[in-house]
Amino acid sequence: MPLYEGIGAITDKLVVVIDIGAAYTKLGFSGEFSPRCIIRSEVKCKDTGRVRNIRDYENAQDLYDLLVDFVHMLYFKYALLSPKDRPVVIIESLLCPTIFRETLAKVLFCHYEVSMMLVLPSHLVCLAPLAVDTALVLDVGYTEAIAIPVCHGLPVIHAWQALPIASQAVHGNLKTLLTACNTGINSISEWTIEDIKVRCCFVTTQKRAQEFSKATPEITTCLEVKYPLEGSRTLTIPGKVRETVYEIFFEEDNDHQCMSTMILDAILKVNVDLRIKLSENIVIMGGTAMTPGFKNRLKDELYKQLKSDRYSKLKITKFKFHSPPSKDNYTAWLGGAIYGCTELLSMKGLSRENYLKENRLPDWANMKDNLRTL
Amino acid sequence: MTSRNTIKIHHGSIVCEESKLRGDITIGSNCIIHPSAAIIAEAGPIIIGDCCLIEEQAKIIHRLPFDQSDKENTPVLIIGSHNVFEVDCTVEACKIGDNNIFESKCYVGNKLTITNGCIIGAGCRLTEEQTLKDNTIVYGRSCQMREGLDRPVPQTLQMDTLSKMLPNYHHLRKPNKKNQ
Amino acid sequence: MSYIIGSDVVRYACTCGILKPISKLYFCRHCLEVRCGFCVCHEVDSHFCGKCAENLPSSEARLKKNRCGNCYDCPSCHQQLTTRAATVGPKNPEDPKATPRKVFYLLCLLCRWSSRDVGIPDQSAVSGGWPERENIHANRLQEIQDMYKGIVLLDKQQKLEKDKKKQRRYMSFTDRTGITASMLRKRVGLPDIPHPLLKPKPKEPEPAVAKEDVEELPEELLTKPVNLCEVTTMEQRLVQPEWQPITVEKLFPIHKQLSVKRSQRCRSCEHNVSKPEYNPNSIKFKIQLFACFHIPEVRIVTVEPLRAGKTCELLLKFSNPTQHQTVITFLPVTLEMEETKISEQVTEDKSVVDDYLLEKKQPLSLTGTGSQPSSLLHASLSRQPSITVKPRPIAVPVVADITIPTSTFILPPRDDAAEYDDSGDTHNIQDDSKLVIWRKSNKAVVKLQVTPKEDLKIGDEVVAGFTMQHIYVNTITTVDNKEPQKCEHKVKVFVTLGNLVGSE
Repeated sequence: MPLYEGIGAITDKLVVVIDIGAAYTKLGFSGEFSPRCIIRSEVKCKDTGRVRNIRDYENAQDLYDLLVDFVHMLYFKYALLSPKDRPVVIIESLLCPTIFRETLAKVLFCHYEVSMMLVLPSHLVCLAPLAVDTALVLDVGYTEAIAIPVCHGLPVIHAWQALPIASQAVHGNLKTLLTACNTGINSISEWTIEDIKVRCCFVTTQKRAQEFSKATPEITTCLEVKYPLEGSRTLTIPGKVRETVYEIFFEEDNDHQCMSTMILDAILKVNVDLRIKLSENIVIMGGTAMTPGFKNRLKDELYKQLKSDRYSKLKITKFKFHSPPSKDNYTAWLGGAIYGCTELLSMKGLSRENYLKENRLPDWANMKDNLRTL
Repeated sequence: MTSRNTIKIHHGSIVCEESKLRGDITIGSNCIIHPSAAIIAEAGPIIIGDCCLIEEQAKIIHRLPFDQSDKENTPVLIIGSHNVFEVDCTVEACKIGDNNIFESKCYVGNKLTITNGCIIGAGCRLTEEQTLKDNTIVYGRSCQMREGLDRPVPQTLQMDTLSKMLPNYHHLRKPNKKNQ
Repeated sequence: MSYIIGSDVVRYACTCGILKPISKLYFCRHCLEVRCGFCVCHEVDSHFCGKCAENLPSSEARLKKNRCGNCYDCPSCHQQLTTRAATVGPKNPEDPKATPRKVFYLLCLLCRWSSRDVGIPDQSAVSGGWPERENIHANRLQEIQDMYKGIVLLDKQQKLEKDKKKQRRYMSFTDRTGITASMLRKRVGLPDIPHPLLKPKPKEPEPAVAKEDVEELPEELLTKPVNLCEVTTMEQRLVQPEWQPITVEKLFPIHKQLSVKRSQRCRSCEHNVSKPEYNPNSIKFKIQLFACFHIPEVRIVTVEPLRAGKTCELLLKFSNPTQHQTVITFLPVTLEMEETKISEQVTEDKSVVDDYLLEKKQPLSLTGTGSQPSSLLHASLSRQPSITVKPRPIAVPVVADITIPTSTFILPPRDDAAEYDDSGDTHNIQDDSKLVIWRKSNKAVVKLQVTPKEDLKIGDEVVAGFTMQHIYVNTITTVDNKEPQKCEHKVKVFVTLGNLVGSE
């Protein structure tokens, strides 16, 4: 029984820190330096028996049921803790859809009866493990890449940049490129494509990419890979596909935007005096950023974009990157864990009584939470 | 398809009478073949090496792949020594090396070449044409592969126990080829 | 057995509106309501290791990060690792007295991974002794964490001080006499307390320094062939979040994660509905209020091929699981939530106006509300009552009507010794022969008429429903009544009868 174990056990505040991403969820406890587990954000739907991603919901009721099952799995299979009357820290993106965060709050407060919830923006808290307060944060996840500058501990939201160039786009590109030399690609599951991408593909250098974009490239591609699929067939992944599948990150789309322009546009929208500081403090996080060769190529692309006309106003000469004391895919989680072990949880967290009075989460987009008290 | 069975058994092997042996088969020394094991040499002779263990209901079938119809030369299936064919495995590979383990209910298709030290896990179905490298371990429902450090340890203790127990309960075929 | 592998053909409506088969429902004896896994409150009861079947107290589980100390999981296929022994020659080969000693290594039985694959030396003890790894950033992160704790604490204290800066009504000693505390201390001879701001602060960690160089693309990727057996998969990487090795040589064994036993509690009356035993090897329950032990079970025996608009026969088998006789009455089913009790409570509740919430009771505080330093502590010590969620409308399309029979029938109590008794059924129950076709001890087969609606197409699934009212004998004795109380309990039953075969 959780109540009668002695005062000593209860005063040890075990705060669960959860970062629910589109593809993976990071779960752990505050005060620790790595999440306990990184699991797929999917759950077995009770009605149909299929495994569904929690972002594939049809309506709010469907999302509610999916989240109930998902949070149940998080607490009773991985965290091994009763959610009732315990605080929880949720890390989310600043651009998280309102329906998702409101339903999550409803699930946690009404169904699981947590005592207190603290919602932290991922772009802000990822600076905590670095002990800096001004940086440009680029989060390359599954559905999109978001760049938001953080100045003096406050995210400059009006300078946000987001593009849907992230893992999901890479998977689609990989499928298209592989259909040219293999059959039956459409029947392969998303996770197998991810495995192919992670083990075989990488981001090539700028020089090689320029050669590939020519009609007749003159360089030797890297060797092709034979990927065995369940003992019955083998996929061939040609060398060119291995190198060029990530090129969608750096090819400008119809609006002349790509990952490098995103960062420079975000810097442009900030005050002139902070621009140099931001360019010398770039933090890249997110699972997709762990691809071999990604950071190097991004740096080269940034220098290349700097030479173009539209960034002539920017007086930046160099870019400097931080290396957080964690793997890129859980940097935001680690920041949340550090925040969660301070008194901030009791000061700024939303308690259950307050939630039931207001019935909504405080949101930066809602004017009611933005009024300054005189 | 030969209508006559020519079975040559070297000295020291224990071949149960109840096993199904069809075709031209040569069995090395100190092998143990359990009852209801099936060794069918359809497309050509099978030569089995020394100290092999072929358990119940294991099927070693040497047949031609259907896209290569009768050629002049009859291919020989050479199986190396110290192999273990566990219960109810089906092996149709065209060449097998030494020290391999084929676990229960695995299926090895027609076009595979198994080298030395491989372990094909229980229930795995391998049908793709490939040559498995040395010391490959295939496991799991989706036939994941990994490389082992070295070949699996030969199961001498089990072979000794079997060679003592089997003659007490089964009729055996007598070895008919003396060691020279 | 059919409840495990078969599809859910007969489902009961739980009070929260979700339909579940009787095997997945609980019955709260105190509120006399059916509950399901969705509407009960789940709690962690005990931690145990699945492999060594050892219970761990939750404080120890917390210390060990919810992992078993002795058992390991294979890093490549996530199955259990077994400890194998190998004999190694004696340390001193020349010494005739030295005996060959045993060394142990870990082996996975599925993928044959062994601890020797990554270079872990064999241990001489059976359990324990396997090397542990630490996070390389642990020191720096600990410093950063302490710094932030300090900053926030300072912030909080400043806020509290600001709130407390009200006008003092009482004159302090210093105001009256002009002597400060430090002067007094000097007079008396006590050592001076240094000013808090002058206290030596622990060295603050420096902010991270950004560098211009980032990790380059490794050249081998461009030239060397990829050996897929040497590169780890995503699952293998994510199972060890701290290290996430890229190559197979860095895959170390992981401590096995613990499992929990859960207990379920009814949200409205706070009584336990299911509580397992503490021993991990035992599958029994201390408290086992499952619906299949209290509510009559309905099974479909046969149904005539269904035709739209035509009345077909349906045979249902009812069995009484309790030790008391029960009378079953049929009532029509209505899909709207017509319970007046709930709507009254909603109007009473003034403060909460929400779709989902229903009522909140007074918080029970088990310990006194003494001065607690942090609000978290207070919240966790006193158990907050559960919030009951408003039931949702039953979302099943009932497309067939069952003609509700007017007569009721009796189900005798369950007699466990009846199967060994050859004397035969001596209940002598007078039955409506059109309703009850067959009887045996506590079971009866009942014939009902089902009429699927006329506008259905061939191949549509036909679902029919009825309300079953049974007499439930509540064996819990309270202070007021010493005798078991009889009450009528209604539960909605929905049967899926298969697909429509033809039309009129």
